[in-house]
Amino acid sequence: MKKKILNTYLILGVSGIVLLACTKDVDFNQVDDFEVSPVVESSLIFLNEPANQFYENNAEVTTVQDSVLIDVFEDQFVQDYLVKAAFFFETQNSINRSFQLRVDFLADADVLVHSFDYTVPSSPNNAVLNSNYTEVFEGDDLVSLKATRKLIFTLSLLDGTPINENTPGTINMKSKGTFYLNIDDTL
Amino acid sequence: MMRYFWPIFFLTGLTYTQNKQVLYGFSEIPQSLIQNPGAKVNNNGYFGIPLLSHVHVNAGTSGVSVYDLFADDGVDFNSKLERIVYDLRPNDFFTVNQQLEIFSGGFAYGPSYDKNAYISFGLYQELDAILYFPKDYAILVYEGNQNNINRPFSLDHLNGAAELISVLHVGYNKKVNEKFTFGVRGKIYSSIINLNSTDNNGVFVTREGDNNVYDHVFDIDMSLKTSGLVNLTEDSDFETKDLIRQIPFSGNLGLGIDLGFTYQINKQWYLDGSLLDLGFIRHSKDVENHELEGDYVFEGINPIFPEVGTGQTADEYWTEIEEEFVDLFTLDTTTTKYTTWRPLKLNASLNYSFGEKKDEACDCTAQDPEYLNRMGLQLYAIKRPKQPQVALSLYYYRKLFNALSIKASYTIDSYSFSNIGLGVSAQLGGVNFYVMADNFLEYQNIYNAQSVSLQFGFNYIFNKNEN
Repeated sequence: MKKKILNTYLILGVSGIVLLACTKDVDFNQVDDFEVSPVVESSLIFLNEPANQFYENNAEVTTVQDSVLIDVFEDQFVQDYLVKAAFFFETQNSINRSFQLRVDFLADADVLVHSFDYTVPSSPNNAVLNSNYTEVFEGDDLVSLKATRKLIFTLSLLDGTPINENTPGTINMKSKGTFYLNIDDTL
Repeated sequence: MMRYFWPIFFLTGLTYTQNKQVLYGFSEIPQSLIQNPGAKVNNNGYFGIPLLSHVHVNAGTSGVSVYDLFADDGVDFNSKLERIVYDLRPNDFFTVNQQLEIFSGGFAYGPSYDKNAYISFGLYQELDAILYFPKDYAILVYEGNQNNINRPFSLDHLNGAAELISVLHVGYNKKVNEKFTFGVRGKIYSSIINLNSTDNNGVFVTREGDNNVYDHVFDIDMSLKTSGLVNLTEDSDFETKDLIRQIPFSGNLGLGIDLGFTYQINKQWYLDGSLLDLGFIRHSKDVENHELEGDYVFEGINPIFPEVGTGQTADEYWTEIEEEFVDLFTLDTTTTKYTTWRPLKLNASLNYSFGEKKDEACDCTAQDPEYLNRMGLQLYAIKRPKQPQVALSLYYYRKLFNALSIKASYTIDSYSFSNIGLGVSAQLGGVNFYVMADNFLEYQNIYNAQSVSLQFGFNYIFNKNEN
């Protein structure tokens, strides 16, 4: 009997060690502070065309326009977490004509919500001229970007010597979008 | 008395290694036969108290503890999270293993003067899950691709498996002679739920482009195989009772075998070892596999001159790009049968017994001396999807009284170099009770433990020397 009591105490003792497991202060509510801010970059539009592409049917094509339907901004994730965006264009022009690139942002029902344009200078001696342009979307502009469902790109030739089949030079344009996200409170 | 113990079990039960280093070789406990079917048996028979004969829970993480992340230390949570994301390697893992014995029993047979064979059997439920740290995915979420141009993000960093199974088993243990005992256990696995995503390949990389600023290269070959009560695409009226009904035989069956032996080198030294869960499960019912496969390089769009050269209109051009993306990210769902292998485990130990027990009733030395102390070295290894996990333990065992034995172990493994385990087995009449846990040094702050394991159970044992 004595042994049994002793055993009981020993078991209690061992269990006691287990029971004495302590914890230091932890605060699981810290997950509420969760926040990550990834920066995602994506190629946007590009073109690389010699001058004579702007010559068609014995006439200069002064304006080229195209539109793209875009649904990425509709996404709830983008709606919630996109905090800033920037479109960056880099152009190399060796054509003796200046260009204007105009980008129109259209919301549902083709309502124009934002627009920007920039001018690519002409290259009188056909040397490659670099020019860059950045459009930043913050505040109201960001709201407009998020409402965008359609983009219209318009490339126009500005005044100058008319282009013919033999006009030298090339226009090269590259672009990327930088999207600043801030993801929080999702855990 | 038991009702006083319950709170303790629940308190400790919340925390948890699949490595049962304390239980292994603890021959007073019938469940040590599950760890080595060729272990020494020193009872005439037993039955486990249903649902209470073996409860095992274990959880572990390598490289990080709960405390590292959630300590209330005034350090900004995101700074801690960031440090963990950058410190952890893709081979670091999170794992959970839980077992509950539903019933079990065993009996010795053979000539009455030498019952040298032993049959044991039972049914237990097991939950096993492992997830490797998806490092590159985490970095991508953390930083985005802007600062990682030309860095390939490895899609194989996503690697994990989870299964809920029941195991019906029968084991045979045979003491061939004084030196050699062997055992074998046949198992029928019944898989209730299986999730397997261990064969992912591919990369995502953003690199300098030719036509545009960047080329975004997608090379994706990923899959998730599921079977059982898993339905990711439809809502199902899942209830716990459906789960319980499926425990014995759900249809996704498998077979396995455990092998083990004990070799008595001399009176004081012995060697033993076992190979467990050498088996497979064939998943043929309720299979749902999801695959994502494709290659695509996105360089942006040329909105103004798409028709040049190819003759397509801008709309067609744009639609083509869109379709490429849709194809790339569309999950193929199939019901192709598949086979999974159970995590194979290896145990081995070298043991030295010492300190002969003095028989007070008769001042004589027994023919077959019983030693009160034992020390040994144990090796444990388990095959995991990426690489085996290995643990090495040093232990000391002491028989305190006839009815009480304790074992302490020191283990080094993937988790730590300071894992102390303790276990006790007590016999109150025919009732055997045992409890064991590890990582005691971390109990000053349980949240700092990278792994904790706990096992306990009750059995009724018919002892050989019972009057």
